[in-house]
Amino acid sequence: MARWLDDLAGVLSAWRKKRQFKRLRDPRYAFLFTGEAETDTYICFDCETTGLNPKEDRIVSLSAIKIRGNQVLTSEALNLLIPQDAAISAESIVVHRIRNADLHSAALGDEEGNVEVLPEREAIGRFLEFIGAHPLVGYYLEFDVAMVNQVVKPWLGVELPNRRIEVSELYYRQRLSELEHGLAMPNIDLKFETILQRLQIPNIGQHDAFSDALMTALIFLKLQSLVKSS
Amino acid sequence: MAIEQQQQFLQQIAPFNELDDKALRSLAQQLDVVYFPVNARFSVDSGENAFVYFVIKGHIAELADELPADLEHTQNKTWRAHYAVRSFLGEQAVLNRKLGAQHFSVQEEAILYRLPASAFAEALQRYAVLKQFFEASLVERLNAMHASAQMTASTEVMMDTVCSAPIRALVEVDGQCTLQAAAQQMVAAQSDACVVRLPEECEERLGIVTSTDLLRALASTEFDPQTAVWKLANWPLVSVHEFDYLFNALLKITRHRIDRLVVRSDNGLRGFLTQKDLMGLFANQSGLALLKIEQAGSIADFKVVAQQIDELVVNLHRKGIKTHYIAKLVNELHRKLLEKLCAMLLPEDLQDRVALLVMGSEGRSEQVLRTDQDNALIFDSVDDAEVAALQASMQRFTDALVEIGFPPCPGKIMVSNPVWCQSVEGFKNQLKTWFDRPTEEGFMHLAIFYDAQVAFGQSGYLERLRQLLFSRLHDNPMFLRHFAKSALQFDTPIGFFGGLKTDNQDGHARLDLKKGAIFPIVHGVRCLAMEAELVQTNTHWRIKALMDKGVLTEAFGIELGEALNYFNALRLESMLYAKSQGVEYAALDNSLDVQRLSHLQQDLLKQALSVVERFKKLLQRHFKLHEVM
Repeated sequence: MARWLDDLAGVLSAWRKKRQFKRLRDPRYAFLFTGEAETDTYICFDCETTGLNPKEDRIVSLSAIKIRGNQVLTSEALNLLIPQDAAISAESIVVHRIRNADLHSAALGDEEGNVEVLPEREAIGRFLEFIGAHPLVGYYLEFDVAMVNQVVKPWLGVELPNRRIEVSELYYRQRLSELEHGLAMPNIDLKFETILQRLQIPNIGQHDAFSDALMTALIFLKLQSLVKSS
Repeated sequence: MAIEQQQQFLQQIAPFNELDDKALRSLAQQLDVVYFPVNARFSVDSGENAFVYFVIKGHIAELADELPADLEHTQNKTWRAHYAVRSFLGEQAVLNRKLGAQHFSVQEEAILYRLPASAFAEALQRYAVLKQFFEASLVERLNAMHASAQMTASTEVMMDTVCSAPIRALVEVDGQCTLQAAAQQMVAAQSDACVVRLPEECEERLGIVTSTDLLRALASTEFDPQTAVWKLANWPLVSVHEFDYLFNALLKITRHRIDRLVVRSDNGLRGFLTQKDLMGLFANQSGLALLKIEQAGSIADFKVVAQQIDELVVNLHRKGIKTHYIAKLVNELHRKLLEKLCAMLLPEDLQDRVALLVMGSEGRSEQVLRTDQDNALIFDSVDDAEVAALQASMQRFTDALVEIGFPPCPGKIMVSNPVWCQSVEGFKNQLKTWFDRPTEEGFMHLAIFYDAQVAFGQSGYLERLRQLLFSRLHDNPMFLRHFAKSALQFDTPIGFFGGLKTDNQDGHARLDLKKGAIFPIVHGVRCLAMEAELVQTNTHWRIKALMDKGVLTEAFGIELGEALNYFNALRLESMLYAKSQGVEYAALDNSLDVQRLSHLQQDLLKQALSVVERFKKLLQRHFKLHEVM
């Protein structure tokens, strides 16, 4: 990509961030804009939702894991479950395997293992504290960020200002650099499973927010090391 | 939700699998995930880098000493250990401060779980199973060192050359010299035997006279001290080269049932190696077992001998002797036993008109533990009444073997079955049937039959049948291609990414060594051997012969042989373990509990399996199997 485009994007996002900061309603969350980010540290996160429409659907569970250097700090992971007013649709239960019963059986504020059950706003508050000013890493991150913004925007008046790193985009660039393509752009499969397979990352867990965040973190680390070595 | 997979992962690793759910969960919660690209280095110590790592994916090598500064250096470095999937590392540095740091190099891109040393130490304090394991393993480590020292000592004897044993002085006399003169020379040289140059009318050039012969001469009236010594001599001389293995010397003594071997060098004869001296070197029961067979006069005696052979196997295996050699010795002993039994049970007047065959794994000299028996009897020039007598004696033979502890063959491939007790002509017809009407069973029988060796009686009968088999194969080239198919019938238990493919049975990851590894090699080599019309039966000898003929390359032949050795050693170990747990012979199976293997063993297993995979490809090309599958 042209260098100047990247520069322009940087200028734009800085400007947008400044404008956002002025709109922040609660100064307790100023750290999102002004906080110190630790070097070489990123937050990988993923949510499971009641559906795929950020305008209507809600977050059911959210997992965020800190990446520091080559380490994925799973022991300090944030795992949140959010009880729903409306029932979770059958289709999405099939995907993320969180049943209505799971949310109801876990009482609010309960802490089982390292999973916390919190009401939506409190949960997102914990999430904001967890991510601080660190860059966010995800797979189709736009959707997850939109889901969080849907809570944050009406509450704090702003959207998440953190830098975003999209692993599917990193992967796309990596593959592009590997394939010596001519004028015709190669068709690169960006399915999560395909990426895992091609990068030879073992699929460690079942499909849930935590495993997805963990696998995404590993994709990110592997791609980073590929970029470094090339 | 989140830590389930960590917990499941730990559950697959000894000794953590012994922990209860709560303990596992608390450990699982403290795990982080770490990523290392290939060639990365890291260290574990008791200070800042105090972690225990578990391998989720990849391959880590532990360096024998300091972390080298650059990569070029590492190529010449020796590794202390290798760690593959589901093994853990770093615990030594964490447990033992004095040890200093452990250094690791990433051989294959790795993803690891990382547990802080403090959490590990706390778990060790809290859970006795862990404490026991890690404390015991320290002792085990010492034991292992001790064992390896012992192993070298005793393999050395086995694998030493003949010239390192005490060799008695050579006394060589002319055949025409008198008994008295010969005896005087023997006394002077303190030797109890002499080599005699035979006069020209004898078919051999050299014979031997021993003190026993002299005694016998003294006792009889035919000889007097002035008799020419050659009249007492025995021939042919059984000799062994001075650079041959002692082990082979023992085998020769066993096979020929003699007390001494003549040692020869490239320049002539050197001296005598006596059984007594040899036994003194081995100082184990192999010689004892042999003597017992010689002395045995009843089935009950044989039963005792069979048990002693088993103990011998355990001992030799523990001493680290290659399974191939153990099998060779054990089969020699078993054959001796069968021979003795034949002489006992067969009608005396028929003994020179029969041949007892051992077939299948016994014929290949590859059976180490008595898992079954495959045998047959061929006879010739025998009338109906005599056939009946033979069949009756063969029923007794099978019964006796079962009583001694050879489980009956499930496929009834035994002399008591009339199908496997036939005249030469009968067997010829049988062979033709197997060729003309190919069935699964016919294939199997043919395979078993091609591995036959004569344990007692006329070796010419088998030779005639084998020639028929070769000529049939020659006339019908398609036959071998169908015959070879079954070498590919079972998948090699290795995954696309090089991992082991196991079946999960009652919580143990198991793998069928016989189907997945041993059978394809044995059968594939058998097919190539048939095509090359080899008479060898042992798979290693066949491989050697195929290398000599250029069918297999030198390098691949050696690799294939070593892989087979390794599988057989694992199989033997697993069977001995099962046996020590009280499993009966007949119930021993071929499944290998992968979790009982160390990571090094698992790695070797993977490598050996990849050799099988390559061999299968070779077979596929060689016999063009894709056309007949």
